[in-house]
Amino acid sequence: MAEIAVGIDLGTSNTCVSIMQDGEVKVLDNAFGERTSASVVHFHEDGSVEVGNSAKAKVIHAPAQTVSSAKRLIGRYHFSEEVKKAQAVYAYEIVEAPNHGVRIEIREEEFSLPEISAMVLREMKQIAERHIGDKVTKAVITVPAYFNDNQRQATKDAGRIAGLDVLRILNEPTAAALSYGFGMGLNQRVAVYDLGGGTFDISVLEIGKDIFEVLATSGDTFLGGDDLDDRIIDLLADDFVGKYKINPRNDPYAYEKLKLAAENAKKALSIDEETHVAIDEVMKSAEGETLGLERTITRSEFSQLTHDLVMRTFKVCDEALQQSDLTVRDLDGVILVGGPTRLPMIREAVAHYFQQEPRVDVDPDEVVSMGAAIHAASLVGEAPDSMLLDVTPLDLRIGVAGGLAEPVIERNTPIPIEQTRTFTTFQDHQESVQIRVYQGDHRQADDNAMLGQFEFSEFNKGLRSDVKIDVTFEINADGIVNVTASDQATGQEASTQITLSSGLAEEQIERIIEQDVAGRVATAAKAAAAAQKQIRPIMNSGDVSGTTTAKVTGVAYSPFGDGKTDLSGVDDNEIKLEDVSEAELDLIDDDELIQLTQEADMNIGADGITLDMPADQAPDDDDDGLFDTSGGDLAAGPEVQLTDEEK
Amino acid sequence: MNAAIDPLEISALARIMDELDYYQLLNVDPKASTTDIRKAYHASSRSFHPDANRTLNEDLRGHCGKISKRITEAYCVLRDSRRRSAYDSKRAEGNSLRIQISEAKTTHVEQRKAEARGATPQGRQFHAKADSDLRAGNLAGAIQNLQMALTFEADNVGFNALVTEWRERKKASS
Repeated sequence: MAEIAVGIDLGTSNTCVSIMQDGEVKVLDNAFGERTSASVVHFHEDGSVEVGNSAKAKVIHAPAQTVSSAKRLIGRYHFSEEVKKAQAVYAYEIVEAPNHGVRIEIREEEFSLPEISAMVLREMKQIAERHIGDKVTKAVITVPAYFNDNQRQATKDAGRIAGLDVLRILNEPTAAALSYGFGMGLNQRVAVYDLGGGTFDISVLEIGKDIFEVLATSGDTFLGGDDLDDRIIDLLADDFVGKYKINPRNDPYAYEKLKLAAENAKKALSIDEETHVAIDEVMKSAEGETLGLERTITRSEFSQLTHDLVMRTFKVCDEALQQSDLTVRDLDGVILVGGPTRLPMIREAVAHYFQQEPRVDVDPDEVVSMGAAIHAASLVGEAPDSMLLDVTPLDLRIGVAGGLAEPVIERNTPIPIEQTRTFTTFQDHQESVQIRVYQGDHRQADDNAMLGQFEFSEFNKGLRSDVKIDVTFEINADGIVNVTASDQATGQEASTQITLSSGLAEEQIERIIEQDVAGRVATAAKAAAAAQKQIRPIMNSGDVSGTTTAKVTGVAYSPFGDGKTDLSGVDDNEIKLEDVSEAELDLIDDDELIQLTQEADMNIGADGITLDMPADQAPDDDDDGLFDTSGGDLAAGPEVQLTDEEK
Repeated sequence: MNAAIDPLEISALARIMDELDYYQLLNVDPKASTTDIRKAYHASSRSFHPDANRTLNEDLRGHCGKISKRITEAYCVLRDSRRRSAYDSKRAEGNSLRIQISEAKTTHVEQRKAEARGATPQGRQFHAKADSDLRAGNLAGAIQNLQMALTFEADNVGFNALVTEWRERKKASS
């Protein structure tokens, strides 16, 4: 029997791991018995790491050392809107790395986003290993269909860092459709409405027995359940300001309490018509007075607060239907994916838009990971093959003269695919060309996501009309882009698995793997298992008053808790949990860790440049910015792409 | 389920791939309907898609990868009537076996949309009748009306595909 390959749905808020064994798909529970784990990473003082719902519970006490929603940042540039927004919202330190990269700084150590995600993935690997009783090294990991190349590549890197051979990066809606239709012999057209914690995807598929062909996909990587929470947070914060004239948003501890309360209130509104939010202490006033908050939120109030967000998802649906040349009447089914789709107001809106009741027989939190597990099993020969024929979600473009980007492969083109274009130079006798690659819908180059750039000079120089440079664009079955430039005359080639400047270079990844950054999770998992013994009795006794850890874990146990968040007080439990972790983690030599990290930093500094630059071409100060790899503003990049490097 | 394709066949196809036109590559007739092209794409994917070939050695996987990408390209061009006719005329001139998929700009959607509702007034009328029959659950009536629509525009790819699909559906349900 071949090795079991797992399916992992690496979500913005929660992560879920499944396997397929003896023809059955199983969602694997963690040491606490929970079927999904919070995608939250908490860093202990000794450098060890805790992942999951217990880590999430720590956010109230140590917000700066607890990283949540890393998926919103993965594969993004430091100057991007999303990063700015996260800096305003999250208490952990988000710093800039060379080449506009993003790093999270915790206790003077810097971590890339793939490293943070790798820790979550490592936890999933360990959960699976505990169930199987054997090593797990192979996985299918899902991403939002609308993820661009940078985000996919970074996710794949995270898998490698976690010690996983990533068999396939699979789109979440496609995985959900597979889970829905696997082995059913269906002939149906379906829409997958996937509203996750941080992203929204819609995919329209045609299922023909074991063939799952994506007709079109569209999405919004800035829209998810978190945004629904934000509206409640605003409501609570405004209430608080009205009452005390102090803004709780400026206090990271207070903010985290509001955030948890908002999330719980949202979940409660899936069940109840109204929910009561009560926080004994949001924060203390300057005089040391305890300031609390109480409020009732009704479903209709919540629905009004978030109406525009929900409507935004349907605009995206319009687009996908239009691109697949279908109307809602052509659809045989609508599959709901993602925790927020449990909300009655979302279900009602979806039913209204699609003119049919969505399927409720699949668990929206688990369906994606189950689909990933089915595909993983089929890839290692442990399940009947199903063909997943996917598409690329965004136009792939090359930068051309005038600051424009010309499409080479349009969105919703099936993958894998390859296209070659022939270009000439901008001027006669030009020495080299700069190839810039973008993804997005905009003609203006800078309005798109830049995937990367590289220089090509190994061509026969000459008059413009004589120079012919072939640029080949490949999108593989993972949706990952490869670009190669070549000159047929010289036979020379320059290629790049496009390493965007904010991503990790191959050497960096290898170094991180060598340092076993994800290995920090190992001992923490044991600690969590030990701590479980201490939490369980309290949970079971039903005495959860004032114990944050138990309370929050309790929410995870039952996603539809009472929603009444009592976040007051320090709890003995919490401290115990930490104690245990630290005891277990003494096994790691602190000095060694710090030393390794310093090395890593130095190397990141040295390798942060993606292009090999000739020694005589120092980063220039001119306005073309072509060699400006040392931190110049990408957005103010060159007006021309194929241009002369000779001054 | 893997179409366990002969390694020799893979190598041979990889070698002659550049000499095949899209129809030959997909193994369909140049007059094939969109439905048939789609079926051929599915069948070829079953043999050559990277997911279907994980057990082969690296060389063969490389070949399959190349073939798979070319098959997708062929499907991309041939499923779109505008692209397909641009390709057909280029191919008829005998000077090209391939075409840029972004050539013959993607009017794919609009074209198919207009066609889906009918190109002639009568075609549109009968298509609309067929559509309301279908919604009323009258599959037989829908097929009849669509067949009427087809008498006015016999080469409407969308109508043809739809009528085939409905007939299959009817057969399956009876």
